[in-house]
Amino acid sequence: MREATPEERRRFYAEEWNKREIPDFILHTLSLREFGFDLDGTGPSNRYNQFMTVEQLAEFLRNRAPYSAFSSVALYEHPSMRKGWLKSELALDIDAKDLPLRSCGCPQGKVCERCIDEARRVTIQFAETLRSDLGLRNVFTVYSGRGFHIRATDDSIMTLEQTERAQIVEYITGSVIPSDVTMALGYSKVFRERVARTFKALSEQRLLGARGVRRTLVKKLMAEKEQVVAAIREGKLGKLHDFGGMGPKTFRQLLEFLARLNSGFTDGKVTIDTKRILRLPSSLHSGVSMKCVLVRDIEHFTPDEAIPKFVREREG
Amino acid sequence: MFVPEYLATLDPFAGEAKKLVESSPPLDSMPQEITERAIARVRWQRKDMLVEPSIEAIRADVLSFYLMCQGVAAVSYPYSRETRIISDATKETIKYRMYDLFKRGHEDACLSVVQRSLKLVQLEGGDGTEIGGKKIPREDFFKIRDGRLEQDGIETIDDRLLPQYLPKYAVRWMDLAPLLRHRRAELTKLYLVNGWAVITPRDLWDMFADFISVKTEEYVASVYEKFSDTGVPSTLLVKVGEGISSLLPPEIGIRGRFAGMPGGKLRPESFPPCVKKALAGVGSGVRNYAITVLLTSFLSYARASPSGRAATRLGDFIKDISVVRDEIAAPIFEAAERCNPPFFKDQPQEKANVYYHLGFGMTTEPRLQESGRSKWYRTPNCQKIAMSAPSLCDPDELCKKIKNPLTYYFRKLAEHARSGG
Repeated sequence: MREATPEERRRFYAEEWNKREIPDFILHTLSLREFGFDLDGTGPSNRYNQFMTVEQLAEFLRNRAPYSAFSSVALYEHPSMRKGWLKSELALDIDAKDLPLRSCGCPQGKVCERCIDEARRVTIQFAETLRSDLGLRNVFTVYSGRGFHIRATDDSIMTLEQTERAQIVEYITGSVIPSDVTMALGYSKVFRERVARTFKALSEQRLLGARGVRRTLVKKLMAEKEQVVAAIREGKLGKLHDFGGMGPKTFRQLLEFLARLNSGFTDGKVTIDTKRILRLPSSLHSGVSMKCVLVRDIEHFTPDEAIPKFVREREG
Repeated sequence: MFVPEYLATLDPFAGEAKKLVESSPPLDSMPQEITERAIARVRWQRKDMLVEPSIEAIRADVLSFYLMCQGVAAVSYPYSRETRIISDATKETIKYRMYDLFKRGHEDACLSVVQRSLKLVQLEGGDGTEIGGKKIPREDFFKIRDGRLEQDGIETIDDRLLPQYLPKYAVRWMDLAPLLRHRRAELTKLYLVNGWAVITPRDLWDMFADFISVKTEEYVASVYEKFSDTGVPSTLLVKVGEGISSLLPPEIGIRGRFAGMPGGKLRPESFPPCVKKALAGVGSGVRNYAITVLLTSFLSYARASPSGRAATRLGDFIKDISVVRDEIAAPIFEAAERCNPPFFKDQPQEKANVYYHLGFGMTTEPRLQESGRSKWYRTPNCQKIAMSAPSLCDPDELCKKIKNPLTYYFRKLAEHARSGG
């Protein structure tokens, strides 16, 4: 995953980039979006761009071969001034390098295939909840090169403001303890699934950081991790009280610890920011020499689908 | 059966209510009976909340509602304690009226009003209930019921009350966005399936009452903005507003509840974009407007949060002149210094003009007892700012919903207070 050279960027945009890889939800609203570019790897400082047609965008990309290309989640009356906000997609950013729990032991800021796959699983969970609980129909996933974006474009949610979006983040991530954790459907189920996933990925060392949970209890919980995870999933949390040292207060503190970890699986700032720019699907993530692509089948997606030709060639 | 206008007593913003207002004399010429009713609304106990099903009783109810709102807008500011107290009282009133109508067998009439704001379906109940093709487990129905009972602190219940606690409807969660925005509802507390929230009759009354309560707050904000445009409100409105203010409980007792609400130090992070721009210093074309007109009025009204009487003298709302010097004038003078070129360097007389706009007359040494020597200028509406100093106006999303920079500020403070921030 080495950085793309300026020559490789030029080759990518001249030979490989294809406007047909821009998802319809962006293509059909292209002229209403702000485009931002990082031209030399120093950050997306080239902002306030508007393209009336995809051909204009194509010409820009071919001529400038940017290090990174972004488009806004917002639609504006005047994108080139970022004025006249009309509405914004609901976006969730699941960055593999920022996952609060990673089983691979990658150093901070680095990612490997395993981290990406863990991010993919989280993405599947989040997208499924958006569909099944919130009833959204237009939920897209995008591989960003180092993680995933979920972008929902249902008209009904695009006019939501920051407070409502923040509440969606809480719901999707399972970062609030529900009043009843045993219900078969609804948030109660979402919370259990998230807590079970988090607990499963938790190391003993990490759990020792939970306030109020004693070392002996941590050891017992870790020793019977599979049963604990199953009990959480099935809503039989009463079983956890059978562990010595798990009083009501400790149980609450454990849930609070897990809920806090849950909240870190997506960057909430991205979701509540209705003027955010996100990496443009079809463009090149030059930092890791990967394509940012719309994912059509997240269940079977592997980053191989996003490797640009020049990388295949340089790796022989 | 009751007259169609009766629905106006559940939704004073509905078409039926508007027609009644339009066919009545102006609000500022209301008889004493309506004026007293407007003030009394905040103290109503259950039976007081009910309205006879006659046109005249309904008209009196609607008119007193509008008089109450406009009275509060005349003597306080959006999201003030006064606004909150009438918003809460309205919520309780609507909730009780819905309960009463349900109890008397008029559920359909209630639902017809609710369905104007919320998409709602009735659940069949029993084992076969599905929402969007997904079956709701029977156990969950009982858990929703138990949760609602617990929320109301009820341990034992009779058959008469029980139906109010059984899941009976489903509403689109998206329609609840205004409640989520104001933290009157929380997504994680809703039972969501396929975009629908399963609710009990009790929830429905609460939600709809909250809807009207939120609309009441927004209406007060819009009237406040209108007064900013047209100047001093009528004597009658001020009298009603003062009457409501006098009924507020002492501040100490409610500090927890209203924590973070206006009346304290200024919170620049909640300032609107135009004020932030003005504070950062501006160029020669708009210096005068930004400093003397916008900042002077905005910071003084935001800091003083005038409440309880018509805002004509800054001195009525602050106890110490140091507040004017240190917390209002000082940031204005600092912003003036940041202008290009520095504002007071080439126009030193404008320093006195700042105090003039604050109502202390032409002076650079204001004294509290001199408050009222000149007019205390109100904060201009957004439209005026956009016309007079377009470069200051860089609206964000919230700006689209308000018409005056102060409404922006007070609304942000209210949101912070509700979210515990």
